[in-house]
Amino acid sequence: MNRASPLLAIGLLAACSGRQSPLAPAGDQAETLHQLFLLALAVCGIVYLVVVAALVWSLMRRGRDEDRDGAMRGLNRGLWATGIGIVLGVTILIVGSFLADRALFATRGEDALEVRITGHQWWWRIEYRVGGTARWIETANELHLPRGRTTRVLLGSADVIHSFWVPNVAGKIDMIPGRRNVLDLTPRQSGWFRGQCGEYCGMQHAHMAFDVKVEEPAQFEAWLARQSRMARPVGDSRGMHGQAVFARTCSACHAVRGTTASGRAGPDLTHVGARRSIAAGTITMSRGALQGWIAQPQALKPGTSMPAIPLAPADADAVAHYLAGLR
Amino acid sequence: MKPGGILVLLAACLAACSNEARTIGPAMPQTLPSGDADPRIGAYQENAYQVSQGRRYFAWYGCSQCHAEGGPADRDLTDGKWRHGGGFAQVYASVASGHPEQDFVRRIAIEQLWQITAYVRDLPTHTAEKRYRLLVDQKGEAQGSSWNGPQ
Repeated sequence: MNRASPLLAIGLLAACSGRQSPLAPAGDQAETLHQLFLLALAVCGIVYLVVVAALVWSLMRRGRDEDRDGAMRGLNRGLWATGIGIVLGVTILIVGSFLADRALFATRGEDALEVRITGHQWWWRIEYRVGGTARWIETANELHLPRGRTTRVLLGSADVIHSFWVPNVAGKIDMIPGRRNVLDLTPRQSGWFRGQCGEYCGMQHAHMAFDVKVEEPAQFEAWLARQSRMARPVGDSRGMHGQAVFARTCSACHAVRGTTASGRAGPDLTHVGARRSIAAGTITMSRGALQGWIAQPQALKPGTSMPAIPLAPADADAVAHYLAGLR
Repeated sequence: MKPGGILVLLAACLAACSNEARTIGPAMPQTLPSGDADPRIGAYQENAYQVSQGRRYFAWYGCSQCHAEGGPADRDLTDGKWRHGGGFAQVYASVASGHPEQDFVRRIAIEQLWQITAYVRDLPTHTAEKRYRLLVDQKGEAQGSSWNGPQ
């Protein structure tokens, strides 16, 4: 065990610096919560150490102090010290919690980029508001955020209660049908992070994740401009065939802007080929994975509402080729 | 409450536990129903989950745009009168092939047609309260090519 314990410690700590961890804050809100966590850890740690020390001390003194009056005086002093300690500890935690709460809402009065995120079983509809207008640019399962700017996410749900959680950037908040929750995100560190539904929402709750990319504002603007465009025209005959099959069999639920496919029940696929994963973080994006997902969605994500549509091999190949080209 | 009452209540609660039991994964029907005695029908018609999925696809594929509740009588599916027969296979055929302009045979996968059929055949049993509740439940989901934001 002695030789194994460092390995065990590494194994436990390995999870602490990942792309889905509240212990590796990469934004103002996550930093605030991390500090509050450290404060609570320190207060509780001190209380724990004091209790253990007192226990050890009392065990070591067992039977030594026969002077009953002296013992009563000691007990009184100890009770006073304990009372002061409790009041002090609770005060520190309350003040810390209050300040953290204020810090989380510090940006609420400012203008921010608005993003509407809707939870569906089991994926995320993500819409960016076009500056000050009623127009939204829709995408799915991949959230891009400009570094150093505040993004205000407006959270809702289309079916059951979900919960929006990107621990590296901010705390989690529920997405409740019939209610609009709001969360401000001010990321400070570029990179890829992972978001995950934080409220059990049905069979594929665990496969309801999304990729989050924090990038420089200029890069972000370029990405958003690409997302706002119509799907790019298909260049080759296989892609044309794929587009025709898609319009016939997939368009009832999926939209590809700029084509006849305009279904709204499933994720918008206008730029699906540029995304990092398929089916809300279930599998990594690739041309082959797309075809596998189309062929057997129930094998990869049992219970998903994406139906397995029997396509001839040549048709499935063409659709996957077409989708991979939608960048 | 008397112990007997509690037992009855408990039994009533547990009775619903198998209402949604189903096999998950790629074991769905690959063919249309062979007739009203097809042994697979029960697994759809008697299963609360399959019926509720049928309702979802009913809206997603745009069926509810014409067959809205309280719509014209010839499109009303809630009155229990079936112009082309009310058996499972008959309703399935009406959904799949009765709308040639929508090309449902090609656009809707076979299992989804099973679910939609089960839902449509379940409609006449709905009470006013249930209809209202279902309407509220599904307000945030898409209907055909329109989606009006979360609830």
